[in-house]
Amino acid sequence: MKYIKVNKLTVLLAFLGTVLIGCSDDLDQPELNNNFAGGTDFSQTDDMILSLIGVYQSVADRGWEQPLVVATRGDDVNAAGDQQGLKNQDRYVYDNSFFGSRTLWETYYGDIIGAHTGMEQIERYMEFADDEGIALGNQYIAEAKVLRAVLLFQLSQVYGSVFIPTSSNLNDFADVTSVPSKDEVMQHISNQMDEAIPFLLDLRPNERTDLPGGVTKYTALMIKAEANQELENYQAVADAAGEIIASGKFTLFPDYYELFKTPGKLSDENLFEFQYSDFGNGEGDRVSHLYAPYGPNSWNPEVDGSSNGWGFFEPSLKYIEFMLDRGETERLETSVFFSQKGIDSLIASTPYTTETLPSFVSPTTRDGDENTSTVRSIFSSGKHYLPTNQLIPGRTEYGSNKNNIVFRYSETLLMYAEALVQGANNSTMTADESVNLVRSRANMAPLSGVTLDQIVDEKYAELSMEWGKRFFDMVRLGRYDELSFDGRTFTEDKAFVTYHQDQIDEFPILGEIAN
Amino acid sequence: MKIGIKFLTFCILLGHLTVFAQNGISVSGTVSDDSGQPLPGASIIVKGTTTGTQTDFDGLYALNDVPNNSTLVISYIGYATQEIAVNGQTTIDISLSEDSQALDEVVVVGYGTQKKADLTGSIATIKTEDITRTPTSAAMQSLQGKVAGLQVVSSGAPGTGPTIRVRGIGSYVGGASNPLYVVDGTFFDDIDFLNTEDIETISVLKDASASAIYGVRAANGVVLIETKSGKINQKPEITYNGYQGVQIAQNVVKLSNSEQFATLARESGSDAEAQSIDNAIQRYGRSRINPNVPDVNTDWYDLILRHALQQNHSIGVAGGTESVTYSLGLNYFEQEGILNMKNDYERFNIRSKINVDITDRLDIGISTLFSNATRYRPEDTAFALAYYATPTMPVLDPSKTEAYPRPYANAQDLGYRGTQNPFPVMENTENREKVRNTLTTIDLNYQLVPDKLTLKTAFYHNFETTETREVRLPYFFGNGNAFRENAELIKRNATFSEQTWDNTLTYNDSYGKHNLTALIGTSYRDRSYEQLEAKGLNFPNGPGIGDESYYLDLANSIDIDGVGDDGVRQYFFSYFGRIAYNFDSKYLLYGTFRADGTSKYQEKWGYFPTVGVGWVVSEESFLENSNVIDFLKLRASWGELGNANVDSSTGGITSDAVDGAFGDVRYPGLVTSSDFEALKWEVTAETNVGLTARLFDNKLTIDSDYYVRETRDAVIPVSRLLVPGETRQNVGVIRNSGFEIVANWNQKVSDNFSFSVGGNFSTLDNEVLDLAGQENLTSGGDTAQRTVVGGSISPFFGLKVDGVYQTDEEILSDPAAQAAIADGLTVAPGDLKFVDQNGDMVIDAQDRVDLGSYLPTYSFGFNLGMNYKAWDFNLNVIGQGGNVIANQKRFAIRQTPDANVDRDFAVNRWNGAGSTNSYPSAKGIRNPWSNQFLSSFFVEKGDFVRLQNVTLGYTLPKLNGKFNPDIRFYITAERPLTFFNYNGFTPEVSDGRDTEVYPIPGVYTFGVNIKI
Repeated sequence: MKYIKVNKLTVLLAFLGTVLIGCSDDLDQPELNNNFAGGTDFSQTDDMILSLIGVYQSVADRGWEQPLVVATRGDDVNAAGDQQGLKNQDRYVYDNSFFGSRTLWETYYGDIIGAHTGMEQIERYMEFADDEGIALGNQYIAEAKVLRAVLLFQLSQVYGSVFIPTSSNLNDFADVTSVPSKDEVMQHISNQMDEAIPFLLDLRPNERTDLPGGVTKYTALMIKAEANQELENYQAVADAAGEIIASGKFTLFPDYYELFKTPGKLSDENLFEFQYSDFGNGEGDRVSHLYAPYGPNSWNPEVDGSSNGWGFFEPSLKYIEFMLDRGETERLETSVFFSQKGIDSLIASTPYTTETLPSFVSPTTRDGDENTSTVRSIFSSGKHYLPTNQLIPGRTEYGSNKNNIVFRYSETLLMYAEALVQGANNSTMTADESVNLVRSRANMAPLSGVTLDQIVDEKYAELSMEWGKRFFDMVRLGRYDELSFDGRTFTEDKAFVTYHQDQIDEFPILGEIAN
Repeated sequence: MKIGIKFLTFCILLGHLTVFAQNGISVSGTVSDDSGQPLPGASIIVKGTTTGTQTDFDGLYALNDVPNNSTLVISYIGYATQEIAVNGQTTIDISLSEDSQALDEVVVVGYGTQKKADLTGSIATIKTEDITRTPTSAAMQSLQGKVAGLQVVSSGAPGTGPTIRVRGIGSYVGGASNPLYVVDGTFFDDIDFLNTEDIETISVLKDASASAIYGVRAANGVVLIETKSGKINQKPEITYNGYQGVQIAQNVVKLSNSEQFATLARESGSDAEAQSIDNAIQRYGRSRINPNVPDVNTDWYDLILRHALQQNHSIGVAGGTESVTYSLGLNYFEQEGILNMKNDYERFNIRSKINVDITDRLDIGISTLFSNATRYRPEDTAFALAYYATPTMPVLDPSKTEAYPRPYANAQDLGYRGTQNPFPVMENTENREKVRNTLTTIDLNYQLVPDKLTLKTAFYHNFETTETREVRLPYFFGNGNAFRENAELIKRNATFSEQTWDNTLTYNDSYGKHNLTALIGTSYRDRSYEQLEAKGLNFPNGPGIGDESYYLDLANSIDIDGVGDDGVRQYFFSYFGRIAYNFDSKYLLYGTFRADGTSKYQEKWGYFPTVGVGWVVSEESFLENSNVIDFLKLRASWGELGNANVDSSTGGITSDAVDGAFGDVRYPGLVTSSDFEALKWEVTAETNVGLTARLFDNKLTIDSDYYVRETRDAVIPVSRLLVPGETRQNVGVIRNSGFEIVANWNQKVSDNFSFSVGGNFSTLDNEVLDLAGQENLTSGGDTAQRTVVGGSISPFFGLKVDGVYQTDEEILSDPAAQAAIADGLTVAPGDLKFVDQNGDMVIDAQDRVDLGSYLPTYSFGFNLGMNYKAWDFNLNVIGQGGNVIANQKRFAIRQTPDANVDRDFAVNRWNGAGSTNSYPSAKGIRNPWSNQFLSSFFVEKGDFVRLQNVTLGYTLPKLNGKFNPDIRFYITAERPLTFFNYNGFTPEVSDGRDTEVYPIPGVYTFGVNIKI
């Protein structure tokens, strides 16, 4: 039996020990492939704009179902296609079956919190900036406030009582015991705009050179007007809208048909739009929105290979009849993409005949695309249609490269006119003048001594299919009988979409609100 | 005086005798088995000393200085040890009899070995014969139904391994429940690269006492795999094993045919769906059998499935001399997929393991395993499309002249939302993956104090490269919808490298009846992963152009968003130790401790102790003469383990780059997250009690365990308030408990006939004990799963069905239905009736209840083996139950009502008062009243029994003469029959959400084993 000498063993163990202990600080290495925002250099003031662009991008990046939840109820649009849940919602039957009622809430709030995070990041840059940087920072924060307001506004229009986040800290909502009412939310939005306006650029959005089409003072004024219109505070509406009109910066785009298509991108009429682009390339990455739900289920496009759509969104027969009865031309042709089956049903259910229908009532648009749908939607929304000859060659998705206008000057004029007729005072223009500006662009004869009914009809003709504005007007004005058409019954308690079960599970307080 | 001389002589003689006795005698002889064959390498030891030797090639041994009154202990692995008193004999021949489960067998445990008899933990070992009986690409598949407490969920696609769970699920986050695989000392997360022929044994370490030595990786169980190695003094043995087989899809779900589909569409109440049937009639003509049905009846599955081949060939040689042992082998495995597109798996392995005794104290081993595999993955969307595609449409439609590359029929022509035809995707997609794996090990054993103190140092390097190429060729349907306009090429190269350096010091000694083994060690591991990928568009493609153009250099443009670069580097450092003590092999004490550090989480160190005790009752005097009990051991253990499978946490807020569009110009931006995760180890504490017994002359073996495992600090995704998404936190407590029993009866009836019968049974009870104050955790979207304290993990959550409304009167008299109608919903005969759980006369979300869990509560296996002369037969049956499966395919009717449904529904649907009280009507299943929430109609029982494996083999009689190979032929049927009620392809759905559309094939093979 040999025994190794004790000291050799000790040396061996000591050697092993030292070698191995040296490895233990590897444990503090950070995770790879991560841009740790904690490591951002906030003294680089120029980088501040990146956070703002992030907010713009997330606000414009919407799932296909969300604008449908906002826009489908109303006597201008029917839900079509196979989404039973959406059809139920259109008929004021609110159940859990349409996932859009959940994703609207979740993603809008996700982006609202994202706007707060963006603002907080910009504030950190401002700590290191010079005076010029601080002023720029304040402007960017104001812009983020406006973008946040766009989403919060639509949320409250749809659901009524909704939460108002004040920072990106989600723990604020851990033990929430009350929910602000819709009026409180709208007032909050109006106040937010008052806060933002002093810092925003006094330009038309398309006059900006740093971020073309970005938010300006007039966007904020428009939102202020919208919020006050919901509050029925018509004086504030007239003041805000009047200021936009008085600036003289905005004019109506002469060609109503092209306003919603490529020539109308960043026009002098637009106060705010979600911008999407193929960047002029037929392939490669793009910033896009899925417009397929608005497209006809089958068609014969002018440019071969262009994709059709899903047929979920259909202008109503009531709207079309209304427009024909008024003798509308431009606006009817632009708003509705007819199919032969649709025309046949028009003839079958109204006094109109093939001879008496105007020539533009045809399955083929003036750009040569033919709507051949026989199932799902028999009419498609013309304002969401991009002629295939305007698609960038190589791109085939329905509506690729098309922007989505949220606020435009025509609505400002009509809101102003209504506010005056509702009793407000403003000397910028008369109600007649502002209504007639809109009418003359649409080749309609001028009116004199406009009444509220005439303005409501004008809005119906001008703004249908756009973000549910018609529906929200009817609710505001209490015209429930208009909304009870084609088998539907509307009552006041059906104004808001009910909260989705997932939201009630998360915030039991919502379950106590009958909305 | 004369007496004195006699006495003196006697004393002298006595003295001589005594001296003689003290000097010892020489003993020699042969050791053979009971058929007379010599056993080389058998060990003969003088009991109570360290004097001993081993037999040589011919079984001969010779010992000197053997005390006359001593006992010789003769042992050999796989045979029952014998003790023979010397008693002055100089020639002692011993005949040993085989003992298939000899308890002095040595079992591989973490970082060492232990005698099976001395184990305090729960370990199941499977040998190579049982592993290779299953024709499969993945070795773990062969364990299905053989190990109590091990759940194996098979997968059908070629080259994919099964999902493995040991003793339930302790982690909430899916995918983090995989066990740790240790192959010859190196850690792996999956063992796809191994061929079943490479493996000698698989040991599953089930309880904490067995697996805690692996500390942080052990919470989900540890699977130890030993590859084949040589033996000292073994004549070289050359083996060839090969089989050829065919795979045939089993239990293919029958979908509705044209006539059934047309009936459903017309009953659905949807004008669009009825119109689509008419459109099909218009386009393709009327069927002559039934004029209301189009003249097309496509059975999509029939068209996309095929019989597929599978084969495996392996050659190995193993052996050893006095100081060198070696095992070398190569094998080739090929498996075609049953989906009719380029879809197969091929693997070629080379392995070698050599161990050299350099001096009598130092030995060195080197082993390498190189695996080269190519997999063409099936396009799963093809299967999904085939499932839902309408039978009223053919594959090709000659009128579609503008379609490319073939005139594919398009369901949109009939008015459906999607194109539905799976063939364009199948024919124009190719996914290739080349995986090359090298595992190299070098280890060094130095006996500082011979047979007592050993130092081992081992270095392992596991290096793997994966080259992926995904090719999507364009295809058009010719109308409106150009489905895939760009040719897309994605290339991804990933490299994984893991280096481990282990050092251990083992001390082994005996003092009288006390036996002690102690071990201390360290382990350092460096894990690195890098991945680079890019996507290119519009490279040359078309008829006559092949692989040569599948390169990004030839692409027209590179998609910036498709370029990815990712990396992971993790470091692990551990200290561990073990003490194994036994008193006379009767009283056992066992303990280990491990400290693990990692760079993955924010809290870096975890400490994992374990202790186990055992009592070998059969060694006690009161059981010494028992006729029934040959061996009885009671054991108990407790330990703590960590789970390192949880993804690392970022530990800080992060930003993502995005693109905004302003005036048709791209502007880069940043979106920053507002919160982040900071995680620490999940810790599982486990208590296990069990017994091991061998009865009736070692014919009956029983192994039984009861365990309770509790995972604390379970990582639970906590819903972010208000906004979508979740962040993970260590807040939950999850408990798994269960009972396992394995029993085997092994009997040799005569020289010609022997048989074995066995079975195993296990139960599992999974319970969530704490959710850190959250009332519940909901996940799963519309197929809701809700975890509450007191229930199991993520059971399905929905309404309970109480039948079907048969008549209008029934609806008029039901207050809940009336309340819904008042709200604007429709409820009609044929709609499902639900239980109003809270009695508030309204059916809404508050009436949702626990509909069952996807974890089985019991599972069992049964096997029967028989040997008669040259024939051998083996049968294996498995089953499990107590779980439910959410039939997502039927539930998908909410999003896509015009899709096809399984024939079971078509035939059994409600179509009039009194027709059925368990299925809704075609209209009903589409009605939001019936499907707005998940209900028990869509959640079905997953119980099944399967004939897992039947094998029949014949060994050719041995020839006379020197060249005397063992040759055995066999045929095997794997998974030929499965009995289950669930309306899907397979009752094996690992997470209970069945979107599975790849059928699991049965495999029928014919093979041969040759041993020279």
